[in-house]
Amino acid sequence: MLSIKNLQVDIEGKNILQGLDLDVGAGQVHAIMGPNGSGKSTLSHALAGRDGYEVTGGEMLFDGHDLLALDPEQRAHLGIFLGMQYPVELPGVNNMVFMRESLNAIRRARGEEELDAVAFMQRVRDKARLVDLDEKLLKRSVNAGFSGGEKKRNEILQMAMLEPKLAILDETDSGLDIDALRIIAAGVNALRSPERSIILITHYQRLLDYIEPDYVHVIVGGRIVRSGDKELALELEKKGYGWIEEEAAA
Amino acid sequence: MTTADTRPSWFEQLIMLSGPDSPGQSPAWLDNARAQARKTLAELPVPNRKQENWRYSAVEGLLKNSFHPTAGYVPDPQALDPESLLLPSFETYRLVFANGHYVPQLSSSERLPAGVTLGNLRTALGSDSKWIAGWFGQAAGHTEHLFTALNTALANDGALLHVDENIEVDRPIEMIYLNPGQDDASLIQPRNLVVLEAGARATLVERFIGSGKARYFNNNLTEIGLREGATLAHYRVQDESRNAWHLSSLYLSQAQQSRYRGTTLAFGGAWARTEYNAHFRHEGAECVLNGLYTAGDRQLTDFHLDVQHSVPACISRERFKGILYGKGRAVFDGRILVDRQAQHTDAHLTNDNLMLTRDAEVDTKPQLEIYADDVKCSHGTTVGQLDPEQVFYLRSRGIAASAAHRMLCLGFANEIIDSIELQPLRDYAIHRLAITLNEAVARG
Ligand SMILES: Nc1ncnc2c1ncn2[C@@H]1O[C@H](COP(=O)(O)OP(=O)(O)OP(=O)(O)O)[C@@H](O)[C@H]1O
Ligand SMILES: [Mg+2]
Repeated sequence: MLSIKNLQVDIEGKNILQGLDLDVGAGQVHAIMGPNGSGKSTLSHALAGRDGYEVTGGEMLFDGHDLLALDPEQRAHLGIFLGMQYPVELPGVNNMVFMRESLNAIRRARGEEELDAVAFMQRVRDKARLVDLDEKLLKRSVNAGFSGGEKKRNEILQMAMLEPKLAILDETDSGLDIDALRIIAAGVNALRSPERSIILITHYQRLLDYIEPDYVHVIVGGRIVRSGDKELALELEKKGYGWIEEEAAA
Repeated sequence: MTTADTRPSWFEQLIMLSGPDSPGQSPAWLDNARAQARKTLAELPVPNRKQENWRYSAVEGLLKNSFHPTAGYVPDPQALDPESLLLPSFETYRLVFANGHYVPQLSSSERLPAGVTLGNLRTALGSDSKWIAGWFGQAAGHTEHLFTALNTALANDGALLHVDENIEVDRPIEMIYLNPGQDDASLIQPRNLVVLEAGARATLVERFIGSGKARYFNNNLTEIGLREGATLAHYRVQDESRNAWHLSSLYLSQAQQSRYRGTTLAFGGAWARTEYNAHFRHEGAECVLNGLYTAGDRQLTDFHLDVQHSVPACISRERFKGILYGKGRAVFDGRILVDRQAQHTDAHLTNDNLMLTRDAEVDTKPQLEIYADDVKCSHGTTVGQLDPEQVFYLRSRGIAASAAHRMLCLGFANEIIDSIELQPLRDYAIHRLAITLNEAVARG
């Protein structure tokens, strides 16, 4: 489904990703871990196509499409979803209106019919219940004044609404209380299917207790330096990153 | 070329034209007011950029036209396309003017509640003009303002609203100014007077609608008097022709505990300026001014606010937002004056500008002049661009860049639009803004 080869990304002239390789097959869950500043969010933004993330080398293929040739919205139309580490506040933009625009823009791009107001409301209510998001938040501006946990739930709600083929969740678990973590995990697990893939960026083993990954990767210095199965995450939990960083440097 | 001492010849002609009606045609108080204004008009220097009030808004372009009144104009109600004027499901009492002339056929003020007078100045002068005499020129009369004098010197017709004590008007009152223009340089000068007696409540909606490419100068003036405890919600939509000059002068006089809430939306005109002059006469009054403006290529939109706190314990709020695109220009000048005796004044002003292009320009100037020591006052202005992070967020959700820009602009404007308490007008505002934003986003 997703194939990243030797990806090089610069931000403001500084080389951040330094030859990153990653293959994600359909139906798989990949966890990506790594120290602060190692390039995890850079990878997620590069996948979503954010301006200013200059790809200077390598390739990203998604279902055979060259992502580098596509705008962020076109990538979303293909089914890529990025749950952001720091969801952006959009004052004055109503959350419900935003989600409807988003859903219908994607449906239009795929030649599907738009959801009418009634069907949309039904869907958003159902999904909001799934992630236990207070319906009042739907009537407010997108993320504006939301608590950290509410913002993350709102990201997961969008994911649930859009049912992406590839969900990249960048530290969706950070800042969540135990209950919220469980709810979010339930939301993610509900999405799991043989056609869908998930990339979980996280610092904590805890999330992986709820969402069991097929693979675990460690990014250090803009490169994947080690890959393994869920045991690797447990090992990291115990030993930290020091030993991997040393090995990588050696 | 126009300088302080070379006034354009059309001005001189107008001064002559504005001579008194033949005796007996208009009441003496009006003749006097006009004569006074004529004098002012002849004496005042023409505005130029050296005057602080006109520093950023050049009037040379305006003055070099040979504007002349649309005296011979007779509105043809059919040709004015009355259907297109009306907003869906908006039940109002309505006055319609075309090129400044009252059009009774398009107006509708049947079943007005008792105690409400709604009509046009010209007609009222012939009959019951006593209350008008008491108010006319009171709020606006003593200012040394060339265009106020011009309006007064030629004052001929306009809208009138008077609400008796403790009457609440059950529907919004709508004043529609259609400006098809007449020939290439019409001078259109509605002269309006709105008076709410003690405890009266009303909602007023003024809409300026220019047709196509008409070239004209709409130099309108509205005096508003609110007696003790009166409440006026006042909406204005300026959608003049893109070739028009528009100057709105509002003079507001507020008695004790009165409340004025003004919301103004400015979309049209080549050169459009709105001046609010609010004067608190007694304690405990409140004045809220909200505004939203847009300007694109060959457009200048200017707001001059002058709020004077000369008595204690009054509240003023000014919140203006602008969206500028293409080579659009805006000027915002918000002055709050707090006199020494105006203790416990509570005055806040903000002006935020969203610049969609590098070529757009704004001059924003808040001025707080505070001579009292126990007051709560603040001001803040911003000039910014669309936030790339916000744009990316929307795009990453499948929303095209242009739609993302539109959504964010609407979001920016939302605070003002949301403050419109009349649903049909709010819907219209969103619709109208969307048209501008489509143009803005396409233009880049
Ligand atoms: N706009 C930018 N300008 C300059 N450097 C940047 C910019 N954005 C990111 N970086 C740098 O890129 C590097 C990688 O950042 P990134 O956000 O990808 O890290 P991360 O692995 O997600 O870290 P964390 O675990 O703290 O979220 C960091 O050194 C960061 O400072
Ligand atoms: Mg990160």
